[in-house]
Amino acid sequence: KERIIIHSKSITCADVELRGEVTIGQGTVVHPKVVIFGHTGPVVIGTNCILEEGTVIINRRKEVLHIGDNNLFEIGCRVESPSIGDWNTIGVRARVHHTLRISSRCVIGAGCVVAPVEDEVLGEYTVVYGPEAERRTWSGRGRVQEDDLRRKHLEYLREMIPKFNRM
Amino acid sequence: MSAPSLKIYCPCLDPNSLPPPPNLPSSSHSYHEIHDLYFCEECDLIRCNRCVSVEVSGYYCPNCLFEVPSASVRGEKNRCARNCFLCPSCKNTLIVVPSDPPESADGRIMTINTLGDPPFFLYCSHCRWDSAEVGITFEKPTSLANQLQKHEDSAPDSLEFERLKEHFEPFIRASSASSSASHHLRTAQHVHSNPITAAASDALSRDVPGVSKYNPLSRSRVGRDKSNRDEMPEYRSRMDVSLTGSDTANVQHLLMIESPDEIATLEQRWINSWTSSVLVNDLKPLRIPLHSKKSKRCPTCRHILIKPEQKPQSVRFKIKIAATGYLPLMAISLPFLNNNLATTAKRSTRPGATWEEDRNSPSINPVMFGGRTYPFVLSFTNPMYDPIQIRINALRSPVSTTTVQTDETGPAQPEKRRPPFAITLPTYAFSVAAFAEAWEYDEDDDMIEDEHADLVDDRRHASASTNSGPARGGKAKTVGVLEKKANTTFIGGEVVIGKEAQGDVKFLTMVTFTYRNDTVDEVDLGDEDGDGSPVRTTNPSSSVLGGANKQPEIRTFSYYVVVDLGRIAQRNVEGSIDERR
Repeated sequence: KERIIIHSKSITCADVELRGEVTIGQGTVVHPKVVIFGHTGPVVIGTNCILEEGTVIINRRKEVLHIGDNNLFEIGCRVESPSIGDWNTIGVRARVHHTLRISSRCVIGAGCVVAPVEDEVLGEYTVVYGPEAERRTWSGRGRVQEDDLRRKHLEYLREMIPKFNRM
Repeated sequence: MSAPSLKIYCPCLDPNSLPPPPNLPSSSHSYHEIHDLYFCEECDLIRCNRCVSVEVSGYYCPNCLFEVPSASVRGEKNRCARNCFLCPSCKNTLIVVPSDPPESADGRIMTINTLGDPPFFLYCSHCRWDSAEVGITFEKPTSLANQLQKHEDSAPDSLEFERLKEHFEPFIRASSASSSASHHLRTAQHVHSNPITAAASDALSRDVPGVSKYNPLSRSRVGRDKSNRDEMPEYRSRMDVSLTGSDTANVQHLLMIESPDEIATLEQRWINSWTSSVLVNDLKPLRIPLHSKKSKRCPTCRHILIKPEQKPQSVRFKIKIAATGYLPLMAISLPFLNNNLATTAKRSTRPGATWEEDRNSPSINPVMFGGRTYPFVLSFTNPMYDPIQIRINALRSPVSTTTVQTDETGPAQPEKRRPPFAITLPTYAFSVAAFAEAWEYDEDDDMIEDEHADLVDDRRHASASTNSGPARGGKAKTVGVLEKKANTTFIGGEVVIGKEAQGDVKFLTMVTFTYRNDTVDEVDLGDEDGDGSPVRTTNPSSSVLGGANKQPEIRTFSYYVVVDLGRIAQRNVEGSIDERR
């Protein structure tokens, strides 16, 4: 069944493909060419997220796929993780398997394929980088500046996207 | 190798060398792609990267693209003197960031100061490493290298290096003074401009008892200096080696680690010349090493082949004499029997596109089967402003001999194996039209067609005379000149693969082409009748050339090209594509 709930304050372009049960929260910006697949289980996206072009979010389980607030999904990434926290960054063309749960403040680098064999939770402040998806922990320094940058990014998008895309 | 390829053999300064058999993997060192080769006009020879002499024409930092004058390169130890650092964990460039502004007590958002607040530290945007983890912070965001200078100078390896330099300094000065005094009497090879190499040659001669540094003229002055050189006191290092070699600190760390992630990998550690701590958390940021801009010269005539521009930002060259400007650009494609020859000729007009389409299209599969005949198409594109004559000769692939131990007690008999394939190529000379700019073709269209007609009538082979345009249909001849288009000529050849053949189809051809060795005005092209015979001796009058004194010479140049057509599928798997790796 199809049940799509988009908050009135979010900016969603017309050219997106939302299937199944999808809920998009307040202030979230969804660029064109995003695919969200919520047939098997519902997908709930929090507030102030940015989903850039080519993002694919798939829920393979019956349980709800929660995505928290203030996340950034960069171009071409593919996310199947059953739960994602706040303030994360999924890099360009990264791929996250459905066995991995992401907590908050994580960074998955560009092109990284994170596919653990069994269920795993990525702790806070984990950075995944490099072609072999090495991990290390971030100290959290520069966090305030990054939050500020993301806020500015959101404001800019909210202003510019309606000018150039159909909503 | 999946797509068919062409490589050129460079004799590398040996005038009598023959190209090694191309199917041996050890001979791949002397075969180069055409874009890797240079051409020396004075010597009329191909030069490759292995035989050119290289000299440094400037140093620059790859990060800030700042050109470092050669004088200060030594002083800065070949590193960038400004704010460029390498992240110790992922080797990316570090950026200078200010620290976070303090958050107010109730968590309200404060306005961020654009200049940033001190203390500043280094931050890697790729792996999020920052220098505050090792305790390096700065008060000002500029000239970080200066601020770190004190730390670097007090490191044990640089102190040791300073001591070594002080120790050798007086002896180097003494030997260079003596050598410079008798400089005018010695041959150039004996004078070392670099004091380091002078010290090295001294050390070499000292180790062998009874042999001193070679001096063609023995003078009393030299005898006096010799005693100085041999009497260098022993060097005592600053720290006792046994102390630095002990690893007790490292062993303690190793006993206490909790996960293997805490140990720095070899790649992260081997840059340091001194043994340092093994832990990841102790890795320090490194200054970025400088890169050099190189200029290349022909080894025999010292003619400059490549000279880059002075600015590191520009990728162009002041002088660029590459083989692509002289040798005809060759490309090869394998139209398989089920493909229309016309479509393949069209595809071969863009030699660059041939590779992509060969790789992607499933119909062009470079695996061939034994016992069949495959035609292939070679295209020659003339880069010069004069038409050239080309003749190709396929060389017999060398008969491989394997020694077989027979049952008899006699010596092993070498067994001759026949080459597994046979090549048919046109052996007559064909011409390729001159290169002209695209805007010239509208006017010269009629002229080019007349050229074709002339050329065709001159042919001695009857098969070529029937071909005055692009070959059409699958039944057209496959060997010989197929098509001429602008400055490209397409030649068809055939390869017959024996039933028992296996391995790669690689064969050597010798390409001989004739060209004129000077620049001719564009106007002159209209005067030529375009038959391009190699013995033309008519000289344009000197007035046309604008008073140039040089006589145009007809030069012949030949080089070897190895053509790789692909693999032959295994015998027992008929009908299915099997690529052995």
